[in-house]
Amino acid sequence: MAQINLVIVTPETTTLDADVDGVTVPLIDGSAGILAGHAPMIGRLGPGEVRTTNGSTTERYYVDGGFVQVEGNKISVLTGRSIPASEIDVAAAKAALAEAEQQEAGNADLAALKSKSIAQARAQIRMVESA
Amino acid sequence: MANARALDKRRKSIRNIKKITRTMELIATARFKKAMDRATSANDYTKRITAVVSDLARAGLEVSHPLLEAPDVTKGATLLVLTGNRGLCGGYNGNAIRLGAKTLELLKSEIETVTLDVSGKRGVSGFKFRDIEMAENYLQFDDEPLFAEVEEIAERYLREYAAGTLNRLDVTYTKFHSVAKQEIVNETLLPLGSIEGADTPVDPEVAAGNTALYEFVPSAESILEEVVPTSFKIKLFKCFLDAAVSEQVARMIAMKSATEAANDMIKDLSRTYNRARQSQITGEIMEVIGGVEALEG
Repeated sequence: MAQINLVIVTPETTTLDADVDGVTVPLIDGSAGILAGHAPMIGRLGPGEVRTTNGSTTERYYVDGGFVQVEGNKISVLTGRSIPASEIDVAAAKAALAEAEQQEAGNADLAALKSKSIAQARAQIRMVESA
Repeated sequence: MANARALDKRRKSIRNIKKITRTMELIATARFKKAMDRATSANDYTKRITAVVSDLARAGLEVSHPLLEAPDVTKGATLLVLTGNRGLCGGYNGNAIRLGAKTLELLKSEIETVTLDVSGKRGVSGFKFRDIEMAENYLQFDDEPLFAEVEEIAERYLREYAAGTLNRLDVTYTKFHSVAKQEIVNETLLPLGSIEGADTPVDPEVAAGNTALYEFVPSAESILEEVVPTSFKIKLFKCFLDAAVSEQVARMIAMKSATEAANDMIKDLSRTYNRARQSQITGEIMEVIGGVEALEG
């Protein structure tokens, strides 16, 4: 099967740089699968799970939102944070969720920030619980 | 002439200090390399974000966002000064504190409410000494600032900016150009003014909808909405990284010159010590000869 190069970059380091069969990325309004030869695309990511498949092995990473850019058989995932699914700290995520729910949402911008923090915490919890 | 034994003692203690400064220099060099690697990785991320922005601009999207435009009135401002947690790094901390205090004065003369945030123990004690009040202290940053921690601070500023209590954010830090050149600067991060890549000329073909460079999911506007805060965060993160790299370079250089100064002092002391020792021996010989002559005579 034709492969596509996937790079996950955070401001601190490049988490992953590998050739894979296919990738599922969490777009802001639902996930999207990307295979080799995909048309150029820039997408906005929501918090969620990047899943790579390579033959019969699947790897899962949590990403904190960001962007995905597909161009010339290369996928770049730009995100603030990316952690392998096995390293997610559920207790911390639950605490973050409780804290986010207490946040003030006085105007539209604050409300957006609040729902973003809630979504990030929920996505992490969901990833662990669905595994 | 000074006592030879006292001189020897001093020389020994300088030798010990030299050992310490030499080790600190080596440690700073290793830490500098690490910090430098991180700064390079951050550059990779910035480059990709810039590419996304210029693609958006090329598709004919007007890059505008509340964070990019200056507010009508600037009532609240914050100055963030980045210093180190530790000393023994030459003028690094002192320069940052001095420019920070000067900028603060300047901001206060223009803007109604100005708050001061300081990162680093040295800066905190420096401003305390000057009796300048601080709103926030950050002591958690060392030679490897974490993005998650910087992001937290960035989010707070974004929240305040959105709420309207903060209209302007300035950062005073040491910018790293090269090993030989670091410069203490003051940068205005909010409002962002412009983001890199936004001035890419519009491709008429693409703007007219004849060809599409990219498919934007869900829409170019939505991506822009996310790109702008992200570039603010990464800019702030870069400031922290630059400050960390500069601190290590400053320490490296300071410790290097301390080691060299210790070498010079040891050389000087050795000369004086040898001379003192020689004259002591000469004196003793003279005494012996004097004694012999007295016996013969």
